[in-house]
Amino acid sequence: MKVLEATGITKLFPGVVALDSVDISFEPGQIHAIIGENGAGKSTLIKCLTGVYVPEEGSVEINGQDALKNKELFDKIAYVPQEIDLFGYMSVAENLFIPYEKSGFKGMVNQKALEEAARPLLAKFQIPVEPDELVKDISVSSQQLLQIARATVHEDYEVLMLDEPTTSLTTKDTQILFDIVRQIKSQNKAVVFISHKLEEIFALSDVITVFRNGKKVAYSEIGQVDIPWVIRQMTGREVDQNQVFCSEKVTDEVLMEVNDLTGERFTDVSFQLKRGEILGFSGLVGAGRSELMQAILGYLPVYKGTVRIDGENWKLGDPTFSVKHGYIYLPEERKKQGILPVLSIRENISVAVLDRLASATGISRKKEDELAQNVIDTYDVKTPDAEKEIQFLSGGNQQKVIIGRAMTCEPKVLVFDEPTKGIDVGTKAEIYRLMKELAEQKGIGIILISSEMDEIRKCSNRIIALYDGRKVGEFPATADKEEILSAIIGVG
Amino acid sequence: MNNEKSRSSNPIINALRKSNMTAIGAVLVVMILIASVTSPYFLDIYNLQSVIRDLAFVGMIGVAQSLLLLIGELDLSVGKIASLCGILSGMMMVYYHWNPWLALLVSLICGLIFGAINGLIITRLRLNSMVATIGMQGVYGGINLVLTKGKAITGIPEEIYFLGKGNVGPIPAPFIFCIAVLIIVLFIVKKTKTGRYIYAIGNSREAARILGINVDKIRVLIYSLVGLISALAGILYVARLGSSQSAIGENWPMNSIASSVIGGVALTGGIGNPAGALIGAAIISIIQNMIVLLGVNVYWQSAVSGFVVVIAISFGSISEILRERKARKVKVG
Repeated sequence: MKVLEATGITKLFPGVVALDSVDISFEPGQIHAIIGENGAGKSTLIKCLTGVYVPEEGSVEINGQDALKNKELFDKIAYVPQEIDLFGYMSVAENLFIPYEKSGFKGMVNQKALEEAARPLLAKFQIPVEPDELVKDISVSSQQLLQIARATVHEDYEVLMLDEPTTSLTTKDTQILFDIVRQIKSQNKAVVFISHKLEEIFALSDVITVFRNGKKVAYSEIGQVDIPWVIRQMTGREVDQNQVFCSEKVTDEVLMEVNDLTGERFTDVSFQLKRGEILGFSGLVGAGRSELMQAILGYLPVYKGTVRIDGENWKLGDPTFSVKHGYIYLPEERKKQGILPVLSIRENISVAVLDRLASATGISRKKEDELAQNVIDTYDVKTPDAEKEIQFLSGGNQQKVIIGRAMTCEPKVLVFDEPTKGIDVGTKAEIYRLMKELAEQKGIGIILISSEMDEIRKCSNRIIALYDGRKVGEFPATADKEEILSAIIGVG
Repeated sequence: MNNEKSRSSNPIINALRKSNMTAIGAVLVVMILIASVTSPYFLDIYNLQSVIRDLAFVGMIGVAQSLLLLIGELDLSVGKIASLCGILSGMMMVYYHWNPWLALLVSLICGLIFGAINGLIITRLRLNSMVATIGMQGVYGGINLVLTKGKAITGIPEEIYFLGKGNVGPIPAPFIFCIAVLIIVLFIVKKTKTGRYIYAIGNSREAARILGINVDKIRVLIYSLVGLISALAGILYVARLGSSQSAIGENWPMNSIASSVIGGVALTGGIGNPAGALIGAAIISIIQNMIVLLGVNVYWQSAVSGFVVVIAISFGSISEILRERKARKVKVG
């Protein structure tokens, strides 16, 4: 008997097939692990199964009924998202019972009754807080457990979906969580467990499904497989994708030297970047890679440590200085931190180098137009003209504009933070080729932050692994995928 | 991409489209037509001069306010800065017998400083601009009361009267200043680095910082400029009244924001053209003039003018709603 059965789920995003006719089903009393690299389609699948997204093709049946037609069926699924989405300035009890369907009179909230009702739940989940404490004041671990408690408050759920529930839990709390999950399983509910941590998956789940590039690539009972099998399925050793894009003109000259850098999300990180090199940074989401690079830019604070670039002692905490002296950061959050959405391509490019475009009466429009056209031609941006608002370009073309803009600043060090996020396979290769060219021809140093193992191994000359804000390994590009993967999930 | 079609090869037309100015200009023309048809007195030269004199003040402040809206902020203390600078100029001229021109210059500098104080408080203490300037308007208004004990300062030297009361040919003098302010602001916005940075910050403050733009410096600069323009409007109003009063600029914060929004400047930042704020100010001034000319009961005037302003502000979002409906129809079929 299946409580939830999805067949032929296909979900398209502009330029990307996020899910490619996926079949999956969950049974009561079973813990079903879902694993895959970042971008493999796990989150999209969850969103399709919880009614957030409507898939282009396929069906979702809950208890044998079509859930896409009757949305109320999705109430049977309790979903705990990866990010904490509690209300910080409301109490623990209020957070548990919002939107207060069963508290006193209609439209009234009885604070005392809420708090009394919260106590047994807090005890069950072993959350060491009082019901009247504000959520912002309790530990992250407690918040995580509270999220799960909240999702299961209504006991009529039949599927519990946990999206990476242990990322902010200590070992002890993880054990508490596992006990609770096993209890829930014994109540004949189906549990879906999404995680990057292989040990946890093997400790907890009954069956496992592996995703890669939007496809379901493997399904098995957990007893019949081992960790190497899972990693093999996850990463997939396609022979046809063996083309590498690492720089072939790495010099011996140290371009950038980072010593014992410590900030809020990273600790004692040291590394060197050579001129002409592409240096990969591998790690899980939240490992501190972006924060490290943003701190060098001056966007985030540095507590201690030093940076030298091209023989110059770097002034930390001042993005204007960094950009002017050749450290350019291309953000992962392209839409929020990269593009200026309602401005034209021309304005998006010129804003970085206005000093060079000066004329007697302000900014020379002629020079500006030439610059924009030059970027469009050089980086092969597909657009009718430079006046188009950048928000209407595809992700790949936006990325090319941003790379072009960075290059007009004449950088010494260029940081690509997840440069191919949300970009289709064809354009990905173009971006890789571009990075290689820039490293080889312009003699700059490139730092590549990527969560895609294939990408980072294809493009980097060396790979540094970060785990929980610390450097846990440095690998040559030829290193085994398994070796790097173990390092970034904290096994090595 | 349906915006492809709407693009013309003429850059001026494109610019007008982008800033929503043609639509709002058309609204202004229609308002003028309605006003001249419904009231025979509207086109009377004295009436027109009085309308234009009024709109010069709201327009000036509106143009200044639009700069702040472009970076996604606003200043509610503009009116109090204006009246305080007016009072300061009055005290210097009347109580201390300063040379009037020197007094005006010093008052302008005071306005610049008050604006800079706003900017520094907001950027350094990381405050929300609205909350901070509500507080600061209390401070400036309070200093005002301490200095004047609520009394007007009369006996302003007559040699400066023409700045507020006078005409250059048929054009009221304050309007000349208003146009000068607009031209300077437009030059900054369209032709200088600072102007580009304003739009960049309004589009995404984070992206601007990552690009190496000194975001806080630009913000303080704009607050200072807004303070300066407020002071200018304040002393021109003193010249118009022939006395310094604490009540000057009472409605300016709200009217300046309304003018900007009517003129197509988005409250969220990054979108719009300061020239729109002047058109918006003209629309508001004509509405208020018509209410008087049509003999609306004096107790009803405020309610009616408020209601019409809300309608005027809605033009932009109504056209957006209609556009979305149309797009939905095309897609659903």
